[in-house]
Amino acid sequence: MDGFLLSLWIARLAFLGLLYLFLFAVVRVLLRDLRSAAREPGSELGRLVVVASPEGEPPPGAVFPLDAVTTLGRDVNNTVVIDDAFASAQHAALTFRGRAWYLEDRGSTNGTYVNGSLIEDIAPLGFGDEIQVGRVRLRLERPRS
Amino acid sequence: MSAATARPRSDPFAALRGVKPRPRPRELGLLVLVAVVLVAGSVSLGLYRTHRLDPADGGVVVSYLIALGIGHFAQVLAGRRTDQVLLPAMGLLGGIGLLVMIRLPQELVQQSFGGTTLGLAQAQLAWLVLAIVVASVLAIIVRNDSWLRLYKYTWAAAGIALLLATFVLGRDRNGATLDIHLGPISGQPSELLKVILVVFLAAYLSENRPLLVEQYTRLGPFRLPPLPYLIPMVAMWALALLIVVVQRDLGAALLFFAVFLLLLYVATGRATYVVLGLAAFVVGSFLAYKLFGVVRERVDIWLDPWSVAQGAGYQVVQALYAFGRGGILGTGLGAGLPTIGGNLPIPEVNTDFVFAALGEELGLVGVLAVLGLYLVIVERGLRIAAAAADDFRALLATGLTLVVGVQAFVIAAGNLKLIPLTGITLPFVSYGGSSLLANALVVGLLLALSDRGVEAPPPPRPPGGRLARLVDRGAR
Repeated sequence: MDGFLLSLWIARLAFLGLLYLFLFAVVRVLLRDLRSAAREPGSELGRLVVVASPEGEPPPGAVFPLDAVTTLGRDVNNTVVIDDAFASAQHAALTFRGRAWYLEDRGSTNGTYVNGSLIEDIAPLGFGDEIQVGRVRLRLERPRS
Repeated sequence: MSAATARPRSDPFAALRGVKPRPRPRELGLLVLVAVVLVAGSVSLGLYRTHRLDPADGGVVVSYLIALGIGHFAQVLAGRRTDQVLLPAMGLLGGIGLLVMIRLPQELVQQSFGGTTLGLAQAQLAWLVLAIVVASVLAIIVRNDSWLRLYKYTWAAAGIALLLATFVLGRDRNGATLDIHLGPISGQPSELLKVILVVFLAAYLSENRPLLVEQYTRLGPFRLPPLPYLIPMVAMWALALLIVVVQRDLGAALLFFAVFLLLLYVATGRATYVVLGLAAFVVGSFLAYKLFGVVRERVDIWLDPWSVAQGAGYQVVQALYAFGRGGILGTGLGAGLPTIGGNLPIPEVNTDFVFAALGEELGLVGVLAVLGLYLVIVERGLRIAAAAADDFRALLATGLTLVVGVQAFVIAAGNLKLIPLTGITLPFVSYGGSSLLANALVVGLLLALSDRGVEAPPPPRPPGGRLARLVDRGAR
C-alpha cells in the first residue's frame, strides 16, 4: 500500500472518527444536564405561583410546589394559607387525579374562580390557568424539571 | 401592563440597556469540534480529488464556519440563557450536507442572484447562512409567545391560504405539485406549513386539553372525544388526504398526520385516540391505494422495486445499490460511483436521496452518526418541552421537535426501502432553501423556548368578572 492510499484511508477514518468524537462530546453534555436535573428536588407535580395578593399573605411571586392534594383557605391547617378577607377558612382544594388537575370549591362564601369565571363545585384545570381565591390570584404552572 | 408597554416607546433602547453578555462555553466547545470535523471532511474530499493535501472548496467550508461563529457570538452578546447544544448539532448536520453538495457535480443547481450564477455548493452555502441568521435572530428577539398563542386561528387561516395557493399556483415536478412560483420567488409551502400546523395544534390542544382528557362520547366499546372536539381531528385527517389527492405530496401528508397523532397523544395521554387515528390512517391509505395511481405506484415499488428496476423503481434500486457499495465504512468522500452514462446514479441525490449519498460515501458508520445527531436534536427538544412553564409551550416544543424527527425518519426509512418512498427533504442536510429556512424556524423557536428567563406565560383570559367588581367596591 503506497503512501497516498494510506493517507486517503487515514483521512476517511479520521472524518468518521471525528464525527463520533462530536457525538461523544454532545452526549457528555446531555448526561451532565440530565444528572443535574435529577439532583434537583423534582418530585413536585406542578407549582402554584402567586400572581396578585392585595393583603400580602401569601406574598405576590411566592411559589408553592404541589403534591397530589393541596387545600387552600384562611385556616392555618390548609396547605396554602390564604390570609385574605374574602377567602373562607376551607375555601378550595386542588387535586391531581392521574391525568389532570381539578379545582374543587369547598363551599366557600365568595366562590372560586378559574380564569375569571366562577366554578360550580368542581372544574378541570390545565397548566397556565389562573385561579382566584378571595382576592388572591394564583397561576398553576408545570413542574420545573 | 400599560406601564410595561409604554416604557420602550419613550426609550427604544431600554431593552438593550440591561443586556449583559453571557459566555456559552459548551456551545463554543462543540462548535470548535464541528469545525474540526468539517475541515477533516474537506481534507478527505480534497485528498481524493487532487491527490494533494488541499481541502476541497476550502473557502465555502470556512465561510460556513464563520457564519456559525457569528451566530454563536450574537447569542453570547444577547446574553440569553438558551440551549447550547441545538446550534452545534444543526451546524454539523448542515455542514455534512454542505460537504455532500461540494462533492456532487455543481451543475445540478444553477441559481442566479443579480448577475452572478451560483453552483450547487455556493447556493447551499447562501441558504445555510440565511438559516443560521433566521435561527439566531429568532432565538434572540422572541421573548414572549402571545403572537403565536393568541392568533391560532389566524395562523390556521394563513396555513390554509398557503395550501390553497399551492393548489392553484403550484407547478408539477416529478408528478407532485410541490413548488409555487411568484415572480422570482419560488418555494415549497409545505415546509412552512408544517411549522404553522404545529403552532395551531399546540395552541388548540393546550386550550382544550382538560375537556379532551375528561369528557367523551361513548360509541360501543370506544370512548370518543366529545363531539365538538372531534371535528378538528376529522378535519386534520381530511386535510392530509386532500394533500395526497390534489398535490400528490405523500411525504407532507404522512408527516402532518403523524405529528398530529403524536401531539394528540402527548396532550391527552389517551391511547384510544391514537388507535382511532391509526385506524383512520389505515382506511385512508387503503382508499388512496385503491383510487390513486401515485399511491399504488409507490407501494408497488416498495414491495418489489426490482421488477421495474429500469423504470419507476430506478431511483429506489440505485439507492439500495449505493448503500451496498458503501458497506460499513463507506467508500470515502468523493469516491462514490460518479456517473452512469453521463447521468448521476441516483436522480434527486441532492434533495430526497441525500441519505443514500451519505450511505455510499460514509457507510453504515457515518449514517448512524447522522441519525445520532437527529436523536440529539430530539432529546434537546423534548427536554425543552419538559421544562416549559405551561401546556402551550410544552406542546409547541414537542411538536417542533417531532416535525424534525419524524421528517428525518420518513425520508431515511424511505431511502432504505423500510417504508414506501415519499418525497420529502432530510432536515438540515438536503439541498433547498424552503427546507433549510423552515427547519431554521424550528430551531430558532426551540432556542427561544429554552430560555428560562423569558416572560411568564400570559393568563388564558383576563381575570375579573363579578368578584373583581365586588372587590373594587369593598376597597372603596
